[in-house]
Amino acid sequence: MIKTVGLEKVFVVRDQEVRAVDGISSHIKSGEVVVVIGPSGSGKSTYLRCLNGLETLTGGHVHIDGIDLADRKTDMNKVRREVGMVFQQFNLFPHKTVLENLVLAQMKVRKRKRSEAEKTGRALLKKVGISEKEANYPSQLSGGQQQRVAIARALAMEPKVMLFDEPTSALDPEMVGEVLEVMKQLAREGMTMVVVTHEMGFAREVADRVLFMDYGKLVEEGTPEHFFTDPQEERAKLFLRQVL
Amino acid sequence: MNKKTNNGLWWALTILVLALIVFGLWVATKRIDYTWRWNRVPQYFVYLDKDVKSATSNGTVTQLENNGDQTTVTVQGEDGEESTYIIDSKTANLKVDEYLLEDDTVGSIGEWKAGPLSVGLWVTLWISAIASVIGLVIGVITGLCRVSQNLTLRQLSITYIEIIRGTPLLVQLFIFYFFLGTVLDIGRIPSGIGALAVFAGAYVAEIIRAGIQSIPKGQMEASRSLGMNVPQAMTYIILPQAFKRTLPPLAGQFISLIKDSSLVSVIAITDLTKSGREVITSTFAVFEIWFVVAFLYLILTFSLSQVVAWVERRLAVSD
Repeated sequence: MIKTVGLEKVFVVRDQEVRAVDGISSHIKSGEVVVVIGPSGSGKSTYLRCLNGLETLTGGHVHIDGIDLADRKTDMNKVRREVGMVFQQFNLFPHKTVLENLVLAQMKVRKRKRSEAEKTGRALLKKVGISEKEANYPSQLSGGQQQRVAIARALAMEPKVMLFDEPTSALDPEMVGEVLEVMKQLAREGMTMVVVTHEMGFAREVADRVLFMDYGKLVEEGTPEHFFTDPQEERAKLFLRQVL
Repeated sequence: MNKKTNNGLWWALTILVLALIVFGLWVATKRIDYTWRWNRVPQYFVYLDKDVKSATSNGTVTQLENNGDQTTVTVQGEDGEESTYIIDSKTANLKVDEYLLEDDTVGSIGEWKAGPLSVGLWVTLWISAIASVIGLVIGVITGLCRVSQNLTLRQLSITYIEIIRGTPLLVQLFIFYFFLGTVLDIGRIPSGIGALAVFAGAYVAEIIRAGIQSIPKGQMEASRSLGMNVPQAMTYIILPQAFKRTLPPLAGQFISLIKDSSLVSVIAITDLTKSGREVITSTFAVFEIWFVVAFLYLILTFSLSQVVAWVERRLAVSD
């Protein structure tokens, strides 16, 4: 589904090179839930953002269903509509109602009719449990509700894969559960997911595979049982001692 | 402490200060022995135009038909041709069979006409309105170029903005009228509107740029991650939010434009200011007319700021 080969992203900050992603080769299979964990600044968010081309690659390749994002001829907009993304800060459109947030891209990008787009939108709002808020504006919703709308908005495009960039980090603790519940439901339905998170419980319960990153490198990868109980690398052991 | 009683006192103080200022002005004009002639002002808004009808040829009055305020006079000319005149009944003192020589007065009729101040106000209004719309279009396009990835577009927009902001509007008006007006063969009114629009456009561009840059990056990223291209994201997501945020400074800019439009009087466009000057030359009511002109500008700008405040309230529903 998604294959990265020697993926590299270098930022230049005040003449200093920062190798945010430093040669990552990975393969995410269809229907798989992959959780990316690691300390702050390890490049996991940047890695995720490379997967839908929000960051231009410095080197290496990202293949999504065989299409290479590093190829200049690739139509990024076409690729992105197949890759849903959920952000830490929700990034809902504040000037649009909840339903309009879900409808807009369906109409403009997928060229659906309004009636059809609204039908899909309402069904998804029901799925994430906030159908009663469809006429509200994002500012009138709690953080957890906003994040669930953001998930519904991404799903409305019927993506083949969903990327989650620390979806619960900006939430009050009591709202984390409702968002994780929606994500678990998605995982059960067989959605291909790549999740950057600090929720170790979620990783343990839902992940098919865990990627552990540090300093832009893929340090360790494996099943949750293997990673949480018997990590091989010293850096991963240290990290787990501190977070668990 | 009751907040309301406090407010009442402050209200009284405000009114007192304003009253003192007006009193001071009144005393000052008393000292210079100025004769106020406010009664002369209204006729420059609307006036009764008296149109005197004269007989076109020698003839005899054959019929007087009174229709209330107006009277239709029919005159049979010596050459056999019949002519009719519609006049005010009050001025009709002819009798049937009365003989009229050519150019004799048949009567007169009054017609209400807009005076120079009304016409000037209207010219100022529509010149400002057209210049605002064109200025907004120029501003949005330039603002978008200003934040574009393309270096040439960025540099061209910066050059335009710097040149316009760095030179006086009065000089720009002269250049538009004398240079561009001559080269492109356009009249004074298109030149005036063009200069105002290009001037406002430069300021609007900077306001729009600030508005676009104030929208969090995540909005563009979210739009792009949904598969929208840059123009779609700009049209549906970024610009609507930027417009809402920049409405107060944009309103200020367009209020400035209304006031700056008074400068077009230097290229002989008869706007409100030029009309005021023309009226003064025939009345010598210098103080009255300038106060009236100022008040008329104030009506225009105040109405605009009220409209913008209303739009702002409408857009605030999503806050």
